[in-house]
Amino acid sequence: MRKKLAVVAVVAAGAWFLPYGLDSYAIHVANVILIFAVLAIGLGLCMGVAGQVNLAQVAFFGVGAYATAILTTKAGLGFWVAAVLAIAATVAVGLVVGTPALRVQSHYLGIVTLGLALAFTNWVTNAQVSGGAEGISSIPGPALPGVDLDSEYLYYYLELIVFALALAFGLFLVRTRLGRRMRAMRDDSLAAGALGAEVPQLRMAAFLLASVYGGVGGVLYAGLIRYVAPESFGIANMFLLLGMVIIGGRQSLIGCVVGAVGLALVREGLVDHPTVAQVAYGAVVVLVVVFAPTGLAGLPARVRAALARRRQRQGAAARLGPFQPYPAAGSRSSGRPMLDVSGVTMQFRGLRALDEVSLTVSEGEIRGIVGPNGSGKTTLFNVVSGLYRPTAGHVRFRGQDMTGSRPYRLARAGMSRTFQNLRLFGDLTVEENVLVALDRSPTLASWRYLLGPISILRQDRALRRQAGDLLDRYGLTEFAQSPPRSLPYGIQRRVEIARAVAAAPSLLLLDEPAAGLNGEEVRQLSEIVRSIRDSGITVIVIEHNMGLVMSLCERITVLAGGRVIAEGEPADVAATPAVIEAYLGDSMSTDDLPSVPEVTA
Amino acid sequence: MLRRRATAISVLTVLTAVLATGCSAPGSDSESSGDESGPIKIALVDAQSGQLSSLGAWELKGARLAIDEWNAQGGINGRQIELGVFDDQGDPTVGTNLARKIDSEGYIAMIGTAESAVTIAMAPILKQAEIPNITSGQSPGLVAVNSEFLFLNGPTSTTYDETLAKHIVDQQGIKSIAMISNNGGYGKGEHDAFLKALTSRGVTPVADQVVTTDQKDFSAVLTGIRQKNPKVIFLGAEEVESGLIVKQARDLGITATFAGAAPQGTPVFLDTAGAKNAEGTIVSSPYLSNDINDAAKKFAAAYQAKFNEEAELHGAKAYDGTQILLTALKSSNVAGGKELAEAIRATKYQGLLGDFAFDKTGVGIFVTSIGTIQNGKLVAAAS
Repeated sequence: MRKKLAVVAVVAAGAWFLPYGLDSYAIHVANVILIFAVLAIGLGLCMGVAGQVNLAQVAFFGVGAYATAILTTKAGLGFWVAAVLAIAATVAVGLVVGTPALRVQSHYLGIVTLGLALAFTNWVTNAQVSGGAEGISSIPGPALPGVDLDSEYLYYYLELIVFALALAFGLFLVRTRLGRRMRAMRDDSLAAGALGAEVPQLRMAAFLLASVYGGVGGVLYAGLIRYVAPESFGIANMFLLLGMVIIGGRQSLIGCVVGAVGLALVREGLVDHPTVAQVAYGAVVVLVVVFAPTGLAGLPARVRAALARRRQRQGAAARLGPFQPYPAAGSRSSGRPMLDVSGVTMQFRGLRALDEVSLTVSEGEIRGIVGPNGSGKTTLFNVVSGLYRPTAGHVRFRGQDMTGSRPYRLARAGMSRTFQNLRLFGDLTVEENVLVALDRSPTLASWRYLLGPISILRQDRALRRQAGDLLDRYGLTEFAQSPPRSLPYGIQRRVEIARAVAAAPSLLLLDEPAAGLNGEEVRQLSEIVRSIRDSGITVIVIEHNMGLVMSLCERITVLAGGRVIAEGEPADVAATPAVIEAYLGDSMSTDDLPSVPEVTA
Repeated sequence: MLRRRATAISVLTVLTAVLATGCSAPGSDSESSGDESGPIKIALVDAQSGQLSSLGAWELKGARLAIDEWNAQGGINGRQIELGVFDDQGDPTVGTNLARKIDSEGYIAMIGTAESAVTIAMAPILKQAEIPNITSGQSPGLVAVNSEFLFLNGPTSTTYDETLAKHIVDQQGIKSIAMISNNGGYGKGEHDAFLKALTSRGVTPVADQVVTTDQKDFSAVLTGIRQKNPKVIFLGAEEVESGLIVKQARDLGITATFAGAAPQGTPVFLDTAGAKNAEGTIVSSPYLSNDINDAAKKFAAAYQAKFNEEAELHGAKAYDGTQILLTALKSSNVAGGKELAEAIRATKYQGLLGDFAFDKTGVGIFVTSIGTIQNGKLVAAAS
């Protein structure tokens, strides 16, 4: 921590004294670089942190610059008033550009945003108000009492302060709840939704942030260059920006800044060799993507990881602690229905995966759902948790009809689940995985970031304390700071259960929690699930390990071919001829065989 | 505890140091007033890469030719002239960077650019740095910048198109005119200037079509124009695009005469359109051909000898502009800044384009000549 502070102090002092060593041209270059750094942070937040491909960043930049130019020269407003309005205009455009993200993702989103960026340059080249291809000149500069911002040296300090604020805000955001939720969405939007992250709002928030940074960059640009023309906001600059973010490292804002500074300096060095320059950028981007996919910012971490790997061979590995049971809650079976599925049919084109399935799970129960492969168990979970909208039928959760609700709505109503093939947030630490689930604040409340960063910090600290307690209970404390994918499979399973419970559900859906676990781990799992139920959470388990199901569940529902063929207490169900025929067969007599992990997609 | 105090103290010291020095602003003016020895540094800023690089190459050749002639005769006051070449890539932002760069590197004057938008972007910085600039742009926007350091080495679009309209409407009595222009900087300037010239004569174009700068297929636009059956079609586009338009128009059976400004008189235009298709095209240009008079012949011969290619308008303009700049440098005894700007304004020069006499706005030439393409050659029109 102290070392970090020292580094920050040195960099800040360096940046502060930098102008004393620069001539009038170099300071101009530094000013332009700072603007690109602000833009790169915005793009990094949208693309790297939230995973939303955004090729319209340069258009946000342009909207900010053009709006400032038009408002100052045509409407006669002062620079600062125009600047505020320009940022507001950019945000409006950002929200429009972001809307497609609600429907399409990844490269499709890239194409859509690129199209909108092209539309912008086309519009400004043709529109009367933007001065056409000639652009708008003699934009009045900003004025501050006592500071002559016409001097590029003093303008540098204005930019430096704005940049420092922008970077600090970005870093704060990434490390606290909104950023954490965005990163979770980037890693796995399905799981994030199932844990209550409002995916649509988060995507819009990503574009909102990108547009704010774009607008700020545009305003600074207009104040610095005092001239806007379409060429400056074209595709070439978009790809330059993209190059900055990729080279620096998408997932780290510091990396974006490093990339912006680095690439801008390279561009400056090659300014007299423009043909070589294009090839050089291309080559650098390709090299980085191939050899350092996490960018320059990711290199230290990769080196550290490589060293740690070597060292770990000798040192003691982190160990999984024992699970500490929950204190039992008082009344556990009120008998009220927690979940009521009635007549649900799910049709996928020609395949009827679920055929009028009905079942009722009462509060405080542990229900097992079994059935041969392809019998529709996971489909049933997906319908219940909102990933699929059923073709027919209803799902009532705690007495309310929630059929076809978005996963995050269901999650917020108190439903939580795990996935058959683990869906942990790969680039978050174990602790952050749990934090995403623990944080129940609505995304819309993120406007508080503007007013009370302190209160956000305080809440974050409280969340971390809760997360610490939870990890302790599940014996995961020693893994808190590791990325989940570095952990053994059994531990990942436990992390996912801890994460699902962290969302404070009233109904927990576990999809094959024992798959891939060894005998001892299965025993621990059974203990954990029972304790979870004892703490007052209703549990539904899909499982193939019959030993576990028989010992754990109070009632079992058997699915075959998309229909319920039996339901009842384990012993009764096991004796039903239809069940034996459909599924259990001879395996009933080999109760304690180690489970064979099912390999399904 | 102790250590924390130590860090607090060190942070405080740094802060005070920062504040103390922060009060005196950096960048104390290092006014680079021309050193009295060594070569005289002149910058040439133009697109040397990208779509407009051919313009940049022509300009460079014209300027180089003029400077080499002066250097061969011993330079100015015994000092050689050095030409620094910068590439603006046709991008105004790069242009503003370069304006600062030539200021900090001590260039005394600048030639270029050929792209009005870039020049307009650079003008305020050059004005502040007091670096005179002779541009090849012709947009009326250059005049609107209102900088006493900005000069044009040719007429503005207004002059080109006023002369053209005068010839077509007043002298030939043609009122049925269609317009095609592109939405680039050049095309838009031409469009506005020609439309203004027509409107002042009470003529409304029968069609006014705008295309994009990178368009290749004009059949939709031309089909619309064919229905209007105009006598003359005005072209407000660069060489290649204009050539394509003419070629496709003839393929569609349009027989109207084409008219335009400088690009329509160039070999590139003729080659693209095909000499037969371009026959009869009316051109308004200050420099009709390389054998229009003795000066032009001499220039063309020198150009041919040096670069082994045929001279054309842009090279001639840059040559004229550079000659004027060098003459002014000589007459002002290699002064810089305001003094040099005033010397340029005072310079009367008989150039390839005509007789230069700069007014307050920095424009030195107010006439163009009308030529027509006959048998694949641009010749002066009989008026």
